[in-house]
Amino acid sequence: MEKSTAKKHPWFWFWSSAVASIALRLVLIIYFPNTLNFSSRPEVSTPITSLRRLAEGYWLKRSSMSPYAGSMYHGSPLLLSILGPLTIDRSEGQSHLLCGLAFVIADFITAILIRAIGQRLQVANIQSLKSLGAGRLSKISENFPSGDIASLVYLWNPLTIITCLGYSTSPIENLMIVLSLYGACTRLVPLAAFGWVIASHLSLYPVILVIPLVLLIGSGLDTPPRKLFLQQTHGEDYKKTTNGSLHLINFSWRPVVLFFLWASAWAFYVLVLCAISLKEYSGLGEMFKRTYGFILSVEDLSPNIGVLWYFFAEVFDFFRDFFLIVFHINILFMVLPLAIRLHHRPCFLAFVYIAISSILKSYPSVGDSALYLGLLGLFVNALADMQFSFFLFSGYLGTLLLSPVMHNLWIWRGTGNANFYFATAMAYACFQIILVVESVSSMLNHDRALKQGATAVAKKEEHEKILKNLENPRSGVTWEEYKSMRFTFQVSQMPLLVLTMNDLM
Amino acid sequence: MASTPETEDQKPKHRPIIRIGLLLIAHSFLFSVVCCTAGIVALLLLPVLSKKTYVSENALMPGSASPMITDQDVSGANRFMNELTSLKLKSQRAGIEIPRLIALHMANLGGEVSYHKFQNHPNKFHPLHFFTSPDTEANHVNKTCESHATNTVGIIRAPRGDGKEAIVLVTPYNPVNLSQNEALSLGIAYSAFSLLTQVSWLAKDIIWLAADSRYGQYNSVAAWLKDYHTPSFGDFGKLHGDGCHKSSDVPESKLDMIIETEVSDTLRRAGTMAAALVIKVANPGDEGEQDALNIYAEASNGQMPNLDLINVVSYLAVHGQGLHVQVEKVVSLLDSKWLKFIGEVFETVGKIARSLNPQWKFGIPVKEYVEGSATLVSSLYNQALGVPTGSHGAFRDYQVDAITMEISPKISYTSKNRQTQFLVRGGRLIEGVTRSVNNLLEKFHQSFFLYLLTSSNKFVSVGVYMIAFLLLVAPLPVLAASLYSDANQSNLESEKNKPLKSWRWLYPTKTVFLIHLWGAIVSLLPYFIYQIPDSQPTSRLLIWASLSLFLLTVLGSFSGSRSVQWTLLKSVTVSAAFIGLCLMSVINFATAELGALLLVPVCLMVKPWRVAGKIHSALNLVLVIIGFPGAAFFVVKSAFGFQNGSSLVEFWYWVESLWAWNSATYIYICMVHLPCWVLCIYILLHPC
Repeated sequence: MEKSTAKKHPWFWFWSSAVASIALRLVLIIYFPNTLNFSSRPEVSTPITSLRRLAEGYWLKRSSMSPYAGSMYHGSPLLLSILGPLTIDRSEGQSHLLCGLAFVIADFITAILIRAIGQRLQVANIQSLKSLGAGRLSKISENFPSGDIASLVYLWNPLTIITCLGYSTSPIENLMIVLSLYGACTRLVPLAAFGWVIASHLSLYPVILVIPLVLLIGSGLDTPPRKLFLQQTHGEDYKKTTNGSLHLINFSWRPVVLFFLWASAWAFYVLVLCAISLKEYSGLGEMFKRTYGFILSVEDLSPNIGVLWYFFAEVFDFFRDFFLIVFHINILFMVLPLAIRLHHRPCFLAFVYIAISSILKSYPSVGDSALYLGLLGLFVNALADMQFSFFLFSGYLGTLLLSPVMHNLWIWRGTGNANFYFATAMAYACFQIILVVESVSSMLNHDRALKQGATAVAKKEEHEKILKNLENPRSGVTWEEYKSMRFTFQVSQMPLLVLTMNDLM
Repeated sequence: MASTPETEDQKPKHRPIIRIGLLLIAHSFLFSVVCCTAGIVALLLLPVLSKKTYVSENALMPGSASPMITDQDVSGANRFMNELTSLKLKSQRAGIEIPRLIALHMANLGGEVSYHKFQNHPNKFHPLHFFTSPDTEANHVNKTCESHATNTVGIIRAPRGDGKEAIVLVTPYNPVNLSQNEALSLGIAYSAFSLLTQVSWLAKDIIWLAADSRYGQYNSVAAWLKDYHTPSFGDFGKLHGDGCHKSSDVPESKLDMIIETEVSDTLRRAGTMAAALVIKVANPGDEGEQDALNIYAEASNGQMPNLDLINVVSYLAVHGQGLHVQVEKVVSLLDSKWLKFIGEVFETVGKIARSLNPQWKFGIPVKEYVEGSATLVSSLYNQALGVPTGSHGAFRDYQVDAITMEISPKISYTSKNRQTQFLVRGGRLIEGVTRSVNNLLEKFHQSFFLYLLTSSNKFVSVGVYMIAFLLLVAPLPVLAASLYSDANQSNLESEKNKPLKSWRWLYPTKTVFLIHLWGAIVSLLPYFIYQIPDSQPTSRLLIWASLSLFLLTVLGSFSGSRSVQWTLLKSVTVSAAFIGLCLMSVINFATAELGALLLVPVCLMVKPWRVAGKIHSALNLVLVIIGFPGAAFFVVKSAFGFQNGSSLVEFWYWVESLWAWNSATYIYICMVHLPCWVLCIYILLHPC
């Protein structure tokens, strides 16, 4: 639907829908503040992100107690200082209006940044295709305004809207993650470092984004596999554009070192600020224990849409440490293989990391899903042939509608039990895994198609035969490449395996 | 969608689960027919598959102690009833005197007595009630002094308990116009209460709620429960009718003077409720030689109390008091010919099976089958409506298991002797049930919450009836997948260079989404229609219908492009229907089952009339007409012979009752059934 209108007035279309989505949020925040009570939904607000807990922490702090007293607040002290004053002036009936506005603004900035990233990605994409010397290749890769699509997907995603209305701090976390990506895309090293440090400070998991960020800063935006460019240079008398593409391949260390310097500077700065704000109550030690320790040791077992709470509610105490390590290593396990396989597409790699960490997080919420679904829109050109898209859409819709129903059945009606709710959480995790697997495999297919296309340009005598293949990019899956997909698939299925083991136990 | 021509070569590479999926998709027609038939057969088989109930919680031990009610209790009850009837005859102000009399007697027996005054709040329309937790509703009621009713609450503190749990006995009565039956039910409760004040084995507090039902039986109980569960800070009692009440009963009676010291206006509480029994007496029934006990259990949205409670009551009624226990059934089905025919078929099949292998115990006699089906249909209907069948429904909202026990005597009791006998029976039954529940250590959890009754001692559990439903809806996703892959394949041939071929479902999805949005708006419209003053039901209905049609055309102009392929559109519609039905089956199974019976055939069969043959189109048309909620309503009404009034008005009242009770069925009809029906019509008229 966007396409036809977008061709006529792309600007007008984008801005009007963006403003409409913001207006929708404002209307919902101002006129229906408590109708659906999203902030009490376990899907929306987690112990880490709940604004209610933040208000409690701020209250404790104002009455000169440690904000971490009583195991209510588990977020950053900085967030407390910034958002805390906004939670105070709640008059009767209007809860957290100012915070709501802050989150709306955060959402909007995130969307704008995603759009900017998308535009840069697209430019880079066109450039690299040109340097591969194939106007014909445009058949493989469509040219949608991926930035516009991605930011609209982010803004209009019901999950984003619910998160924004649910007064959870995840819009801020998402903003920081996107900010770091944007900084890395534009090679603004200090900005990238700032975003990364703050995002990791707020929710710890974005730490793993260091790999895509370094790749982005070091070697630039997403390109087709480097082998292709090399092929071009070795093969025949190809144009001088190869110089440009060769330049892309270089990994420049200097900005990377700068990035780390900036990151340590920012980290130091953040820690100092935290220490100052916690000076009177408790030291940084308690902060680490109550924030990162809380995230890593899964202390709060109240239900959420993740899979860990159920597991750790069931597991025997003496196995607890072991399984904590297993679950957290699960994320780290996938970091390296994926980085090797997708190192030429750092933005996509960042998307995959965010998706995986939001599956395996200790306290996931729909806000995390909102972020990676928005980022998915950035690769709309490459993922045009993604399989099971409709299946995934229906699955997401079904599980997300089922989840509150099951929760109601369990908590309010008392006719269900925890297994009902956990079943939807499992289904949700499955769909997320399928999404990751399918998007990765279709990205690999896309690369493969590009490769064939490039060879086709190089060897004109085979042109026709391969063009036929081009129309079905799926056709040329070699066994070798299939194996590599297998690997990614199996790796990403690990958590499921562990969970089924748990059920058998 | 994975079946491009090349997949033939890749077939060995597919994982087995995908291969099974592809096989099913390839034979979707056969699969649909087989599954649907199996689903309907399984539904018809439910009475055969029902199991005998059994008391699952060992702690209950029904009937392990002999009843202790003595003549003294019963004669006290008799005296109490006489006073009630004489008061009713002589006093003009029975509406105020009777609660006082009850309070006096409760206090004399040794209970703590308090009044609970409440005002009548007519049910309001909360379209999203189901998804919000009970606490979130703000309680903004402007308190007027004119009308309030008074519940009388008596509490026995358990000598052996810690006061943390309670059992509730409810006797609804109308103080303005007390009938003989209500007096009898009060008498039964009195006799039980009188015994329970003396016994030493009580571990849970007993609350006797004499509910003032002048504004409806449900409302009084619901109001009391609401106040009971609302935390009170400081002077809670003043919240209700302060000032107003004092002015209304200025002439203080002698009775009032006596008990003034003992009765408080503040709401007294006992512990959390373990179970609640609503005691009623019905008019003498004309069938059977025994007194009968009717059990009503359906609460809002098809929720049922724990089966153990029903088991205990029916066990004690049958084995202890020799009552004939029955559950509501659709009487008109009892002599339906086709049901008898099906019963005979099942009986013969059962006989054949037994002759082959005596171990196979399958099949039940025809009479039992017909009665079972009649009960099952009534059970399904009541659950599907989502409207509670009595004041016990109010308890279920607070997770308290409750049933209504309606005792109907064989002949009317005129002689005092017979009345005493009846009181003894009723009192013993209540005593037995109370004693069983008193034994419980935890709340009811052992037995089923999700079940359908086929008779008072037979039930179908969720594991069995879900099969019927799942078989019925299983074809939907398969059909959606096969249509989807068809559309993709045909697309590959026709428009090869069109981009984003795996994302083309976005266009039909937009249409489907708009129609569902329309459904949501339609479901909210009555809220605004009520703002129009002085309108007749018929005119309201017409306004509703015309507004909906208008909105539909507006939204239809939004969706614009008719170029959407009908196969894709149907695929998305079918998936939406599948998701909606599955969701509804979790919320309220009975609605989903009945909805699936109407919706699944339409969804499976519908095809644009230009593509389909004449007979097929005619069949589609019939199915679509029946599928319309209003039409379905009238068909069901006439088929089962429920009472007939002026049709449109009746339909309006029916819908009104649905939203007044916050039934999820209403949401289902407006947000799943109606949009799918509209989409089916859209497909039917699609110009391919």
